[in-house]
Amino acid sequence: MTLTRRQFLGAAAGTAALAGLSACSDVHSGGGGAASSTDLPSVSQSAAGSGSAGSTASAGAKASPTAKLSGTVSFAFWGGSTGETAGFTYAKKKFEAANPGTTIEFQVSPYDGFFSGIDRGIQTGKAPDTFRVDYTTIAKYSSRGLLLDMSPYFTTAETQAFLPALWDAVKSNGVPYGVPHQTDTTCIVYDTKAFETAGITSVPDRLEDAWTWEEFADVAAKLRKTLPAAKFPFAYDWTKAGAFRWLSWLYQAGGTLLTPDLKKAAIPSDAATKALDFTKSFFTNKWVPSTGTIKTSQYSDNFFLSQTVPMSFVGDFLVPEIADPKAGYKGDWAATFMPRDKAAAADLGGNAIVARKDSSNPDLAAAWLKFLVQEDAMRYFCEQAIELPTLQSLASAELKYAFRPDVVSVCAKQATTISDTIVKESTVPAFSSINTVLGDQLELAFHDQSTEQTLAALAAAVDKALTS
Amino acid sequence: MPAAAGLAAAPAPRRRARRSIGDALTAGGFLLPNLVLSGVFLVLPLILTVVISFQKLDSLGPAQWLGVNNFLDLFRDPTFYETLWNTVVFTVCTVPLGMAVGLGIALLLNTVMPLRTLWRAVIFVPLVLSSVSVGLLGAWMFDQYNGFVNKFLAVLGIDGPDWQSNGTWAMVSVILMTLWQRIGLDMIIYLAGLQGVDPAVLEAAEVDGASSWRRFRSIVFPLLGPSTFFLLIMNLLFSFQVFDTVYAMTAGGPNFSTTTLVVYAYQQGFSDHGPGQLGYAAAIGVVIFAVSLLLTAGQWRLSTTRDEVG
Repeated sequence: MTLTRRQFLGAAAGTAALAGLSACSDVHSGGGGAASSTDLPSVSQSAAGSGSAGSTASAGAKASPTAKLSGTVSFAFWGGSTGETAGFTYAKKKFEAANPGTTIEFQVSPYDGFFSGIDRGIQTGKAPDTFRVDYTTIAKYSSRGLLLDMSPYFTTAETQAFLPALWDAVKSNGVPYGVPHQTDTTCIVYDTKAFETAGITSVPDRLEDAWTWEEFADVAAKLRKTLPAAKFPFAYDWTKAGAFRWLSWLYQAGGTLLTPDLKKAAIPSDAATKALDFTKSFFTNKWVPSTGTIKTSQYSDNFFLSQTVPMSFVGDFLVPEIADPKAGYKGDWAATFMPRDKAAAADLGGNAIVARKDSSNPDLAAAWLKFLVQEDAMRYFCEQAIELPTLQSLASAELKYAFRPDVVSVCAKQATTISDTIVKESTVPAFSSINTVLGDQLELAFHDQSTEQTLAALAAAVDKALTS
Repeated sequence: MPAAAGLAAAPAPRRRARRSIGDALTAGGFLLPNLVLSGVFLVLPLILTVVISFQKLDSLGPAQWLGVNNFLDLFRDPTFYETLWNTVVFTVCTVPLGMAVGLGIALLLNTVMPLRTLWRAVIFVPLVLSSVSVGLLGAWMFDQYNGFVNKFLAVLGIDGPDWQSNGTWAMVSVILMTLWQRIGLDMIIYLAGLQGVDPAVLEAAEVDGASSWRRFRSIVFPLLGPSTFFLLIMNLLFSFQVFDTVYAMTAGGPNFSTTTLVVYAYQQGFSDHGPGQLGYAAAIGVVIFAVSLLLTAGQWRLSTTRDEVG
């Protein structure tokens, strides 16, 4: 074979470039399915770094500011809910009236792409001073040291006013990087007539009496018998980014996703096997629509509203949609609690409000956050948006919800089953990556991948996500 | 009179040179906006994508140089091969079929046919819809429990397939919706090509006794070469880069059965609730670019009729 000068030079340049590139690094992105045991830095290291940096301020030192507040801070949240917008607008007016010379500037954008926008803003130095963030995403920002340490702005007594699990949800290494604004969780809604038809006469109305898994299976089996082939007993809210809600079954079975130090996967385990086998049986028994998996364009409330299922697991924030007189559910419906096995458990839903560490007006930003979680503002917001409060005083109070307070009351009681373990595991910095692999593997499991293979793949992927 | 002739001829080259500079400035003026736009919105992002594909980078930065590790991980990632296969299947099914149906409809509408303007508009309209709308519409139509398609099949006594929970049928549904949207483009380009075919040539062939099929095979189709070349390139690129219709319709499921390369790149890099690995997503993007480039270059070399008509 003859080699021309051009071919030789091209090959030599290509080889040199490849060798140079490959010699540059042994670090990996952590994307896709390839393993990356040498990834740095670890989650715990980066979190510890930011935590120690943020914990230097003394607790409560600025809890009662003496200097007059002035200026403008921006506040970003996602739009779409009339109730939420009304709640934030109410707080803004009250805050500006109580602090003349201050302005809260709203920045409203759609939920899809909201965090990409925040991230771009942080990269370009144009991020809002304060923004809304869900509990499962907050660690992404706090672990990078981007958020304002709120401990100087709250006295110990003020922090104790929150439900402990939700105050913990905004903390990283003991430092609060935001305020828990509201929570939501999953409960069951059902068609009362369909239950009567199936002979289901007893539905739990107390959390302590929630169905066991066996009782829930009986209910599903009874409904299955009375429904035509194209209708199904229930749907579950694990669609797309809701994949993490599968973990409620794991926690109910007495298992955990991570080890107590949050550094490794705690699966495979007997509890994980039991939870996965049980949830896979939903499909084999035709208790849920075969399209009601993770990667689908239909959510559990869509199945309920289209009357494909007479029972559905839904978040309380969907109550306004289901109760809507025009487009809502056509028929009588009520709510009950999620089933329990060794324990009762529910997913950590809801959102915190955080402020940027490098905000030009951190004291005003902190004051706005603090105002949002005062009793009056939180009560109004929750009543309008049909969401659950995070203050203990409101959690035990009767709120005047605009829609179906009886249903919201069930969800509020269900929210008390969000344990410390659930909060800790749901707020690790790698949770978004874990949620993605959870969705991928559950989707495969619900389409015949074995339980053993699923849990092994899940454990490897979770370990990889935690070290990336 | 050589000196006098030289004096008289002297201004001509200067005028030509001035005109030449003026032409160049005018051409530059026309070219500049396009060059700037192409540079800013095409070339620069392309270069940045290649650079990012060699980095570990998430949405909050900073970047860390990885060398070729993203590509090594990609070539070891079984999901990447599954999504590459899905993209190839989608492309192979949508491109020839769409062009064949588009050509058939164009031939039909090129004849004297009642209401042909109306039919032309009806077939073209889906093309102006956004692909996300088409995807959402597809999700409703192919809803296997409450969708129009299965309800219609039930009226005919046919038990409709599992459009959403069966991977093969899910891919079929996505292909059908894509064809529905894209056939309008194929039809309109072929129709324009057909109207450029000289009727005298066809009449001459008819007089010589050529059958309809023979006239189409030996005269019409070869003369449509430039249209076919254009459509082939455009359809290959559209199909290889499909995202919005698929994502809105199936979210890439069930399993990974409708996850195409671009959907996978989106999930890896841009989904708000995904791993946010922009470097890895960029590596997928570079692979898509390389494959698209190879397909186009191959077709360019193989096509013999591309330059005949604009």
